[in-house]
Amino acid sequence: MEGYEDVSPLPLDTGFKDELCQIMYTDEYRMVVGTARALMERREYSERAKELTGRVIDLAPAYYTAWNYRFDILMHLARGNVELLNQELEWIDEVTLNNPKNYQIWSYKEAVLKNHPSPSFKRELPILQLMLDEDTKNYHVWSFRKWCVLFFGDFSHELGYTESLLERDVYNNSAWTHRMFVLKNTSPSHDHVLEEIEYVKGKIELVPQNISVWTYLRGLYENFLNANYDDEIIQFTSTFTHGVEEEDETDVNVEIESSCALEFIAHVYALRGGAMTRKAINAYKGLATKYDPIRKNLWELKISRVTKS
Amino acid sequence: MTSQDNGSKNPAAKLLGRKRSPIERVVPSEEESSSESEQSIVAMVKEMETETTEARDKLIHECRILLERDDLNTLDKEFHKKFLDSPFSHQLPPGMVALDASAPWLLYWVANGLRVMNPSWLERETQRRIQEKVFRINPHGGPFGGGMGQLPHLAGTYAIVNALAICDNTDGCWDKINRSSIYNWLLTLKREDGGFQTCFRVGEYDTRGVYCAISVASTLGLLTQELCENVVEFLVHCQNYEGGFGGVPHEDEAHGGYTFCAVASLAILGALDTINVEKLADWCSQRQYNDEKGLSGRSNKLVDVCYSFWVAGTAAILEAYGHGNCIDKAGLKEYILKCCQMTTRPGIRDKPGTKPDFYHTNYGLLGVAITENTFQLDPSVPNALKINSSAINPDDNSGLESINPVYGLPSRDLETFYKHFK
Repeated sequence: MEGYEDVSPLPLDTGFKDELCQIMYTDEYRMVVGTARALMERREYSERAKELTGRVIDLAPAYYTAWNYRFDILMHLARGNVELLNQELEWIDEVTLNNPKNYQIWSYKEAVLKNHPSPSFKRELPILQLMLDEDTKNYHVWSFRKWCVLFFGDFSHELGYTESLLERDVYNNSAWTHRMFVLKNTSPSHDHVLEEIEYVKGKIELVPQNISVWTYLRGLYENFLNANYDDEIIQFTSTFTHGVEEEDETDVNVEIESSCALEFIAHVYALRGGAMTRKAINAYKGLATKYDPIRKNLWELKISRVTKS
Repeated sequence: MTSQDNGSKNPAAKLLGRKRSPIERVVPSEEESSSESEQSIVAMVKEMETETTEARDKLIHECRILLERDDLNTLDKEFHKKFLDSPFSHQLPPGMVALDASAPWLLYWVANGLRVMNPSWLERETQRRIQEKVFRINPHGGPFGGGMGQLPHLAGTYAIVNALAICDNTDGCWDKINRSSIYNWLLTLKREDGGFQTCFRVGEYDTRGVYCAISVASTLGLLTQELCENVVEFLVHCQNYEGGFGGVPHEDEAHGGYTFCAVASLAILGALDTINVEKLADWCSQRQYNDEKGLSGRSNKLVDVCYSFWVAGTAAILEAYGHGNCIDKAGLKEYILKCCQMTTRPGIRDKPGTKPDFYHTNYGLLGVAITENTFQLDPSVPNALKINSSAINPDDNSGLESINPVYGLPSRDLETFYKHFK
């Protein structure tokens, strides 16, 4: 291979004739990966070695050994060379866009950013935006975004950003959980929490049958209001349940707007206990018989739990 | 159903400057009625068309057609055997080079799928070849990497230990495992906050790494206090407000895979009481949808057969520890058999519209085993290594091996394996 004539590639096969799950490697793959193996073995930390790890990653992005080796090379070559580290970030962006579902990129990028003398969130934002625009629920990208926000200590872009995503798709659970991440890390004022609840109510009115938003609403009460559900939120919730929780026997002819609302109100009544227990049981019975029957086992567990207490 | 046009007609949408407005969708009740009961499952009427609902509505449509069909009521084990035998008798095409660092996973998925269907289908000769490959790649007996010359990795080590566990100590392979070397390596991967990094210099750092480490350590008898320090705290902080677990302790979105890893680890560590079990059960149960009957891995995401293990397995662990069963096993079984088997090709697929692969076949089979059993701790040894299962309906049973939901292995194999290192 040009530029690597002095290196004999190491084998990729075990050498057994009847090796299990053996991949029919192409000659190119054998050459590139075998040469990288040989360079790694002799601990060569050079520009050409770095270049070669890039070619391995191009052929098999999940080849984590190449990512590790590349990191060692980079640390040897960079030694405070910001230009080189910046080039590396550019390279990562390119690989990221070509491999949106890859596992290895993110921890690698975190390691590079940690070793960069002047990392910048501003630099990361466009690529994060691009990735999430493309795949709005990409778990790795969201998790990396959270890492960045914490690493750079900058929460200022996040609520606005999730709002735009929820405008596009109100069911995007990743965006809802990201909002909770922001709130839990920024100690919001009481007023801010109340404003957030109003925002959530608006989204519920738009689409009442949306588990993400109801779970989020419960999360707000549990994390910021001591799970102190006021009458107003009960009133609001009951507009979507059409009185099912008031009836001891489920009327199978009654249609409701949201089983999530019924689950929510059942939980609130179960918490209140006392005379409200009956309403909780009614709601769980409604869920079990008509509105969310596949979860019957859970509803029955709930009924037995509230009955006992 | 274009929503754009409706926007101007909806005063609320106009008021709030929303681009899209709610779509009224009334679903005819005939389509919804299930044969076992007279009840009709009513889809809630107000829906807004977004990427999420578009994808889901399409899948619901496909699932409904399949769920109504009468063939595919049973698990076609002989047929799936063909699929799993293929990588053990033929070389894999060059396109599978993407899995070059995942040879351990391939060995585990394929061998375990065969073993769960019928122990004798994992032939002695195959077991011999498995251990031969493992120790040729890793002549020092572990920790294990993904292939020749690859660095040791937690996921690879987990998958190889599991693969060896179903090999009956063929050719003394269990004694070739270098436990002290694995133990020292696990300590190097551990960080102060109790998490484990998958690989020494650079690697993911999440509940998956913790599970791989804790699972391996527990079967090999390496679960020391030193290794476990702060691990429970790390995991507890991964439970988010939804009730499930994210990958890392920074309020990540709850996810089926990461939840399983956290809960299985907590079970091994005897610390399930440190988390909010009720919320966890709520979350697991929320993963099951009335229309598809299968499980999703996150809220408002599509069902996928692999969560029949990751999420239903989490539910099975809760069941074993006395917290009741929170999912509809019969419904889930229907999804796996009718929507994820095909008459035209062997193997189990993620969902209608996708092709079978080894990963989904293994976890789909484990899923079927979960749906056909109830799980209990053994009263004499109340510990995750010994979870008993009993058939719910012996007359309608696929005849799979009993499995331990914490380890994803046949219970019998697991028991012989861990006892070997006691």
